[in-house]
Amino acid sequence: MNSLQRGFIIAALCAASATCSAQLTVAGPVQAGSGATLQATGSGNGTLYLFGPGGASKRDVQRGAIAITGDELKVAGRYTAILDGSSTSFFVTAAPLDKISFIARPSRVPAAASGAVLGSAFLFDRYQNLVLAPTPVHFRLAVESADGEERQAISKDGVSWVQLNSGRRSGPAQFVASSETVSVRRIVQQVAADPCSIRMKASRAPDGNILVETNPIHDCSGNAVPDGTIVTFASMDASGRSTVDARIKRGFARAELPASPAATLSVAAGVVMGNEIHWGGGQ
Amino acid sequence: MTNGLTSTSIRRATGQASAAIALLILLAFTSHPTDVRAAPAPSYSLDASAAAPRKVEETTAASVERDYLHGWQSLVSALQTNDAELLNENFTGTAREHFQQAIDSQRQSGLSRRIIDHGHAMHVVFYSLDGSSLQAIDTADLEIEYRDGGKVLSSEHVQVRYLVLLTPAENSWKIRILEELPSS
Repeated sequence: MNSLQRGFIIAALCAASATCSAQLTVAGPVQAGSGATLQATGSGNGTLYLFGPGGASKRDVQRGAIAITGDELKVAGRYTAILDGSSTSFFVTAAPLDKISFIARPSRVPAAASGAVLGSAFLFDRYQNLVLAPTPVHFRLAVESADGEERQAISKDGVSWVQLNSGRRSGPAQFVASSETVSVRRIVQQVAADPCSIRMKASRAPDGNILVETNPIHDCSGNAVPDGTIVTFASMDASGRSTVDARIKRGFARAELPASPAATLSVAAGVVMGNEIHWGGGQ
Repeated sequence: MTNGLTSTSIRRATGQASAAIALLILLAFTSHPTDVRAAPAPSYSLDASAAAPRKVEETTAASVERDYLHGWQSLVSALQTNDAELLNENFTGTAREHFQQAIDSQRQSGLSRRIIDHGHAMHVVFYSLDGSSLQAIDTADLEIEYRDGGKVLSSEHVQVRYLVLLTPAENSWKIRILEELPSS
């Protein structure tokens, strides 16, 4: 039997039984969760296989227009349909934006710090597919009733990000990422930065020691430096150096230094130095 | 006489052994291509020069390369054997859920996918300032066989672009999103 005869026999069998390869096509772009129609040429039954990024199925179908349900097409990506040896691939794209996954760092930041607050927004549809179409995302960072910082960034490959300055006022700042009707909020606690200047005064305590006390301590934006911050008082006299650490309490720090007829008193918090007092030398 | 019989037996035995060896050689060369065959190790490249807003450090790039490739090895095995447990080490979040669904439905229908991984060219497009996420576009060179039981339904050799999102875990990077992109 030559190949020509064989071809005729196959064609005749195809016509009689309609079990030969079908041409498969899926029209247009398909969105996640919405169904699609697979067109298979010919007539009769066959077994349709569908392989996708989130599933695989096998079922008997009638050739012609074959409905694929939205449930089978929830995950974005490439799908391959196979029917009697013929196959076709088609893409499913993400559905509209439904959810923003927003990462804000850090959760606690000094006030008025340049570029200290970072936000990354990942855009998802309702099926957890990244929404890849460029989408504007609006970011806003502000303490309530204060002017904040705002920025808009267009997403790329499903991600949009910003780097913002923290506000001048301390307090819980709302960091909001929004796009279309979806909005997500995170709280970034803005705290006072390092003290801007420290002023102290000294007086003699009833027991003869030197009582030192600061004025209210603020950062350079006028925010009270938090209670608990360590302030170090030092006394230098003929017998040597004495230091006392004290915590800020209700905005002030105070301590007692050893009695001395003549000493140089100093104060510091972190890297910030305050004023000096010359004790006993007419001060 | 005895010698003659022995000689005939030896000749017959030798002939049978030769035939068996020939058959084995024939089987080795003509066995179905879907049977076990040694695939060359996949090639791999990572280009982090366009990473923004943060530069990718060399050690980070090496870790990403190691863990991403390992992730693919796990995925290839998991889709072939329908064992989702193999994904645990390298996948998390959405990617883990989606491939778990794919494997579950494959197992229920008696289907599987066999992937021969020829390599990946990865371009980092985003590395967050705090180092908590890294996004890349991977162009993968894959041969994929779709199977029903032992029967190969269809096969294809494709260049596929994936959008990848990796996040650091305790001591490795995990694949959080592995989404195939339409060809550009």
